[in-house]
Amino acid sequence: MADPYKVLGVSPSATDEEIKTAYRELAKKYHPDNYADSPLADLAGEKMKEINEAYDQIMTERKQGASGYGRQTGGTSSYGYGSAGSSYADVRSLIMTGRIADAEQILNGVPSASRNAEWYFLKGMVLYKRGWMDEATNHISRAIQMDPGNAEYRAAMNQISSQRNGAYGGYNPNMRPVGGCTGCDICSNLICADCCCECMGGDLIPCC
Amino acid sequence: MFGYIRPHKAELRLREFEEYRGIYCGLCRDLGKRYGLFARMTLSYDCTFYALLLLGESLRCGGFYQGRCRVNPLKKCTYCGNEQKPVQMAAAVSVILAYEKLLDDFQDGGLGRKTLSLLLRPLASRGANKAGKEYPRFMEAAQRMRQAQKEAEEDPLSGLDACAHPTAQLLQELFSAGQCLLEVENSGTEVPVSPKQRIIGQLGYHLGRWVYLMDACDDLQKDIKKKRFNPLIRRFGLTEQEISPEKEKEVFSGVNEILNMSIARMSAAFELLEHSNAEFEPILRNIILQGLPQMQKEILFQKKEQKDGRSV
Repeated sequence: MADPYKVLGVSPSATDEEIKTAYRELAKKYHPDNYADSPLADLAGEKMKEINEAYDQIMTERKQGASGYGRQTGGTSSYGYGSAGSSYADVRSLIMTGRIADAEQILNGVPSASRNAEWYFLKGMVLYKRGWMDEATNHISRAIQMDPGNAEYRAAMNQISSQRNGAYGGYNPNMRPVGGCTGCDICSNLICADCCCECMGGDLIPCC
Repeated sequence: MFGYIRPHKAELRLREFEEYRGIYCGLCRDLGKRYGLFARMTLSYDCTFYALLLLGESLRCGGFYQGRCRVNPLKKCTYCGNEQKPVQMAAAVSVILAYEKLLDDFQDGGLGRKTLSLLLRPLASRGANKAGKEYPRFMEAAQRMRQAQKEAEEDPLSGLDACAHPTAQLLQELFSAGQCLLEVENSGTEVPVSPKQRIIGQLGYHLGRWVYLMDACDDLQKDIKKKRFNPLIRRFGLTEQEISPEKEKEVFSGVNEILNMSIARMSAAFELLEHSNAEFEPILRNIILQGLPQMQKEILFQKKEQKDGRSV
């Protein structure tokens, strides 16, 4: 196995606290939720495993002196494909194993009259996995319209919504940039204050 | 291509900016040397990104050297080192895509564009043919894409995603093929689908979607006026002759959210990439996480007049 310190990106002389922080950062980065239904989920899983093992190894090695460190487990994906009473068990297992084309073929074979909420959800998942984000969103919101109480569909939609709002990168027009006062703002505010003072007979900036 | 893929300059370090410029100038020099004077005109930020990404996966870095700009001899430039495979591949991609763009313009442009494309074609074809012989996979991908794009646009059932698919697939193929060639150079053996090729391919797919959708937004007004194809017209039911500012804002906000989803996928893929050469990692990160969102802001939410002044 590779050097566990290298895996976590810390020097061997780092304190336990630093290692913990580095581990938490990485675990957040490669958390299964970030890769749910991504075609790269398997690679992220391997990476997560590597990080967990490195952290465990370092902590066991260091345990001789101190004790009481338990690592936080990485957690599991917020939604899985195993809900009971599914009429599309075969499609779900195909999606889970990454056989997207096969799953889609079965779904497309379902006549449009008998397409229920789950059909729209699974079709949405197939599209999502392929990267067709627009239609994926439409299908999943259709599924929620047909079955508003379903927690699985809602969890998927929440993930999509936060991506759309730019929580995972991108641009959000409604969010003010951090440190929202630019040089321009300072100047215009000063000039404004100067005008106000002049109105009242005083002068803030003598030259204008 | 379109020049949307560029760093957010304000967030770059000076050293990083110099390196970026060095690769830009190095690509320009390579284009001129390999494919002639005309090819220099195809230089773009998009292909600089391509070179940069693959330089990050290259085992050797040629360093940088000082020289004079060939186009403007008064200017001194920093060039990235000679004979680097990623820069050569980026040059090939640049001339191939420029040539395909000309063919595409001829197919469905107006009279002006048809004439222009006809005049430029002999200049472009020499370089493109040479590049196509050196990198047949790139050429095939570009030709396939043009055909698929035509089919997607003609099919009345294809939605926004289906219209973006050919461009996305083209970039996926160019990115993973480039990585594959690098692996051959590094280790001498060809692995058809290595994890790195998958990661870079996924990055390319969503970058392609992003570029296509950005271009669709940028051209929307013009396309409506000239009654040209634009996937947003169909998707948002824009049947009227003109588009009101409110309607445009609504459409662009919707597309912005779709673009954000692609950026989320790109950044997830990028985090998985273990760079062979971490030198360019901060610039790449800047482009994906800050440059692209900045461009969304400029194209979708700021006035058109402001946009023209942008340059790196």
